[in-house]
Parts: sequence; structure tokens; C-alpha cells
Amino acid sequence: MHSKQDKKPSIIWFQGLTCNGNTHSFLNLENLEKLLDKFEIYSHPSLSSIQNFHTITECSLECDIFIFEGTYDPLMKRNDVLVSKIVEYYAKCAKYIIAVGSCASFGGVFKASAPERNSGILFNEQEKSGPLLDYDSKVINISGCPIHPEWLAYTLGMIEKGREVEVDSLHRPIELYSNLAHHGCTRNEYFEWKVDTDGFGEKEGCLYYKQGCRAPMTHASCNKILWNEVSSKTRVGTPCFGCTEPDFPRSNLFSTKTNMSIPEDVPLGVPKRSYLTMAGIAKTFHIKRLEGKLIDYKTAD
Amino acid sequence: MITKQLIDQIEGEASVYFDMKDDMVDFATIAFPHFRGIESILKGKNALDALVITPRVCGICGHAHLMATVRAIEDAYKNAGYSIELSKKVEIIREFTLVMEMIQNHFKWIYLTIIPEVAKLSNSTQEQTPLKGAYAASIASKAIAVFAGQWPHSSYMIPGGITTDPTNIDLLKVESYMDELVGFFEKESIGISLDRFLSFESCKDFANLDSDVSLLESSLMDLNMNEKGFAYDRFLVIGEHLFTKPSKLKQTRAFSIDSKYVNTVDAYSPDQVSYAKNAQYKNLFYETGPLSRAIASKLPIVKNMHRRFKDSAYSRVMARVFELATLLQHAKKLLSEIDISQKSYLKNVDISKITAKGVGVVEAPRGPLLHTINIKDGIIQEYKIVTPTQFNIGSSTQENPTPAQKAMQGVTKQEALFIFRTFDVCSVCTTH
Repeated sequence: MHSKQDKKPSIIWFQGLTCNGNTHSFLNLENLEKLLDKFEIYSHPSLSSIQNFHTITECSLECDIFIFEGTYDPLMKRNDVLVSKIVEYYAKCAKYIIAVGSCASFGGVFKASAPERNSGILFNEQEKSGPLLDYDSKVINISGCPIHPEWLAYTLGMIEKGREVEVDSLHRPIELYSNLAHHGCTRNEYFEWKVDTDGFGEKEGCLYYKQGCRAPMTHASCNKILWNEVSSKTRVGTPCFGCTEPDFPRSNLFSTKTNMSIPEDVPLGVPKRSYLTMAGIAKTFHIKRLEGKLIDYKTAD
Repeated sequence: MITKQLIDQIEGEASVYFDMKDDMVDFATIAFPHFRGIESILKGKNALDALVITPRVCGICGHAHLMATVRAIEDAYKNAGYSIELSKKVEIIREFTLVMEMIQNHFKWIYLTIIPEVAKLSNSTQEQTPLKGAYAASIASKAIAVFAGQWPHSSYMIPGGITTDPTNIDLLKVESYMDELVGFFEKESIGISLDRFLSFESCKDFANLDSDVSLLESSLMDLNMNEKGFAYDRFLVIGEHLFTKPSKLKQTRAFSIDSKYVNTVDAYSPDQVSYAKNAQYKNLFYETGPLSRAIASKLPIVKNMHRRFKDSAYSRVMARVFELATLLQHAKKLLSEIDISQKSYLKNVDISKITAKGVGVVEAPRGPLLHTINIKDGIIQEYKIVTPTQFNIGSSTQENPTPAQKAMQGVTKQEALFIFRTFDVCSVCTTH
């Protein structure tokens, strides 16, 4: 716990190969000011910072929390200094290291820029072989492309209060990533009764059977902690692309690979045979209410 | 002697190399490091996957990339003989979310970049309120997310429509976010009603207001920014939208335009490797962005401002403030025109049947964004992206400088660094 007299924890937010998406997503946080008040922001890509970027790359000060955004490329330089040197320095002195976004966590989209050398800071996809192996216990991965601002706010809040953040085998906080993106999806009833949606742009139907939705296989709380406080991909009819998992981005993102019209990847942890049996039975039912439109504005006129 | 200046706290990082003469900038070159290779990442992928990958070019204008991709794929469908029809509802909602992304960009730029930079340059003690920009941007993002599921990095536009099928509940929610945003802009940013602000015909009308924008305006005047930062006085608007008119402009004289005349050339950056190519139109440099769009659409106050101050740093900054106001009004109008009973999506032949080339052009916050896709049996053979910052902030030779290089000549180094930022630099887009 930090009393008022205590020094506020200091943060350095540093970027590797990135689109800035996590930076901008974090700026959407409701009550951003209240959260920032609890920390000393030494450096941030867009918020006012105590230290200038030049000083950060000189590696002469220390911070409590080192936040890394973007893919780790060992040959990349910031302000003419190798990122590998900067990351090593702050990893050593910081108490906590937070990888924000799937690029920093696993390599993400920009791993493909130079697949033979790029990775996340602790993981290279699902394999723990990144540059910060020696600091393994300090690293928290907030995967997602981008991060949800509340996921980072939760992690920073826990650290500030001196509470332990428990993580899963991929170093993601279990309170955020034990859920599947599927949990809380408004299309769940269609999933239960195996009613798929016809194309796109419909309120009805499940996106898992044809449109490539990865929500039943993806650890994320997108439908529990809504995006921008209002919605989520699946709520607006966009399939989940599995962006919090180490294999993001996969290929053929808008279609489901099927075997005899059953998705090849079945919901996480469900035995394939049981799923096939259950889905086969459900598909023989014809439930009128689920096959029609929820609302027909034209007839309502 | 050449001195290097690192530019951070833009979207990404850039370096400017100054060659000074009598304490004034004689010439400057610009380098953008950190290449990410999105174009080659896309090669060999299903064309629809580009709808997920290209928004990841940029955290602040990813929605513009999404729209450029969907337009490029739809153009390819058309060129393959399968014309795609979009309902009016789809057109309106797509344009609405694009406009809201511009609005969030401009709010952030004003509060997180320009007001702090003006204060630095003038040693002013004006209270810094960067989080106002983040707050307003977050409200704009909520309005986007109602339709697009999330912002940043949505993929809700697909060939033939949008994935969402909104209800009146959604529309009411978005309308209330718009009211909140307009209210904030009136109270904090301009200090007067939006309608009154939009009726202004001269910048002198700012004088009596007490607001963030009027303070910004008077500081720019105090810094003589109306006499500095001139580029070519040539402007380019290419994206088709309801809020501007595609045209090539020499001063205020407009000419017709065709995106096929956009060309790119290698950057001249002798002191550091730069991954940005310069973008031109018929081998000439043009300025793009809010000032260009306002002149193209003949906005009275910007025309007046341009008559007096040409394409100075002052005009560039104030045009962006005015664009924010006109876009807020435009967004409200768009919302009122949505007919939810129309189709959100019309089915097309499968992408695997498509072998064709397509071009998608949109106006992104900083100007025209061009995506060119070459598809064979649904698979991307080639993908090419030209971004607005490549038009504005390329790096060329002293004899033929880019708009930003030209605008930085003949002023002090500190002024040049400010002028550089008046173009709203997006390094991440540029080094896609």
C-alpha cells in the first residue's frame, strides 16, 4: 500500500515495432486522469512526461514499472540506441515489466516483418524464448490487438495497491484471461442451438460456424468488459479473430474451416467427439423463433 | 554543420537533420526509421484478411486504413465484373465512423500536440490540459464503437456492407455521445456555439472569445506563424466523401483529379536510412490534409484566412480547428439520415472467384490514403499503400523540397520544429 507520503510508482512506457494502437486504446480509459495521478509518468509516447525521450534512451535512471509496447526486434534502434540494450537495462532495474498488446506479448502482427528474429519480450508465439527469460517472474503479458484500456488499468491498479497479479502459463492475468471472448456474447443462444448467421450484417445467428469466429477458443474478456464501454466485435457481427492468443494473426480470418460442416477447431476443452454428437443433434431441430428475424422494422411500420 | 534532432511524441519517431545558415534553417532532411513491412506481410494472404491487417498500420487512423481496404476490394470486385451495391445506410455509417476517427485525431492533436508545442515556443504559462484531448477523443471512440464494436482496430466494414445491424437504441446512444462531444467543444474548445463558430467569416471574430482555441489563435499570431511555414500553396484532395471535393488546387483554383497520377519516388535522406518514399501527383509535391480539404470545399473562413495568410503554419493549424467544427456538424447530419430498415450487407460471390486489381482511396485525418490490391483467385498478389504523411513530409533535395522541407526553410530551428508538427506527423503510417 502506498500512503500519501510514499513515492508514487514510476512508469516508463517504451515502444518497439508498433502501430501505437495500445497507446491510443489506453487513452480511451474512463477516468484516465485519476489513474495517472497515482503514478509518476517518466515517459509515455503521447502523454506529458517528466523525462525526455533522450534521457530514457541513455539508460541512466530507474523505474518501478517498465511497459513495453510493440514487437521486439533485436536490431531496432531508438534514438540510435539498440532497443535490446534499453530493454535489458530497464528489465533489470524495474520491479514489474508489462508487455502491452499481442506484439509485445508474443510477436503479434509485426513478428512477420522479420520472423527469424522478431518476438515478444518473453514469448516467441507460445514458446518462452524471448529476450527477457532472465526476468521471467517480473513479466506480465496483457495480450490483445490492441489492449483493452481497462485490462491495463486493472494491472496497474493491482500493482499500485501492492496486490499480487496472478498469471496463467502465458503470463496473462488470470482474472482477465480465464474467460473466453465467447462469454457474454449476445449471440450465445444461436451458438447453443447451432444456428449460424447468413452472411454478415444480421443481428441473428452465430458467427462460429461459417464466419471464422474464434471466441469459443480465445481467452479474453471482451464480452464481459465491453470495448469503449459500449460494445464488442461479436456484438456488432464481426467475428472474433483471436487477437489475444499467441497464434494471432491466423489466416482466412473471415471463414471457418470445417469438416463435414462442423468447425475443425471445437470450443476449448470440449472433446471433439462429444461436440460432434451434440452439434449433430442440435442441428436436426428446427426452432422457428431462432430462424426468423428478431425485429422486422418493415412490418412494424 | 548538420545537426540532428530526434522528434518523439508524434505517431512514432522521426529525425530531422538541420543545415543552418546564420541561425536560420537553410535546409532540412527528414528520416523515418522503423520499417514494418505490412505490404509484404499481406502478400499470399486471403484478400479479406487485409481488413484485419491494414487497420494495424496505424493506431490513430486505422479506421481510414480499413475503409481504404474495403474500397480497394470492392473496386477489385467491380473490375472482375461483379459490381457491389451498397445501401445508403452502409454508405452513411461508414462515412460517420471515418469522420469520428478524424474528430478524435484532431482533438488529440490540438490538446496533446499543438497547444503544448505553442506554449514551449512562446514560453507561455497557459495551463496545459492534454487530457481534455484524450477525453474528447474517448467520447468520439465510443460513438465509433457502437457501430464498429471497438476503436482502435475495428474490422466491421466488409465488401458489400458492414457487419453491424444497428437498432434505434444504438442510434440514440450515438446521438447522445454527439451531444456530449459538441457540448464539450463549445464549452471548452471554442467558447461559443458550434453554429455561431461556423458562421464566422474572419479570424478576427476569434478575438473576443475566451477559450482554448482563441488562446491558441492569438499565440500563433504572437509567434508570427501567419508569416511562416509556407509550403507550395498547392493542395491535393483525392478521397471521395460528402465533406470535401476531390481536386488538385493551385492556390484556390481547382482542377480535376485522378488517383492514377499519384507517383512515389525514393526519399533523399543522406544522414540516415529512411523507409519512407515521397508521394507526388504527376511528379509535383502537394500539401494534403485539413487545409487542402477546406480550400477544396470553399469553406468561407478558410478562404478568407488563405487570402490573408496563404498556406502559412497559422492557416494549417486553424484549418484543422475549423475542420473539427465542420466534421462535428457533418457527423450530426449523417446520423439523422440513417434509415435502420435498410440492408447492412448484400451477399457477393466468394472472394476466391475474384482475380482483379482494385484501388481504394479515402481521406484520412492527414490527407489522401491510397490502397492498391492485386488479387488472384482471392489471394493477395501485391498490396501497395501510400499515406498522407508521404505527401506532406517526404524528404527530398534542396532544389526540389517536399512541402514540410520547404515550410521549415528560413526560420529558426525551434520554429522549424513547430512547423514540422503543424503537418500532424504520422511516422507509423509512413513506415508501414
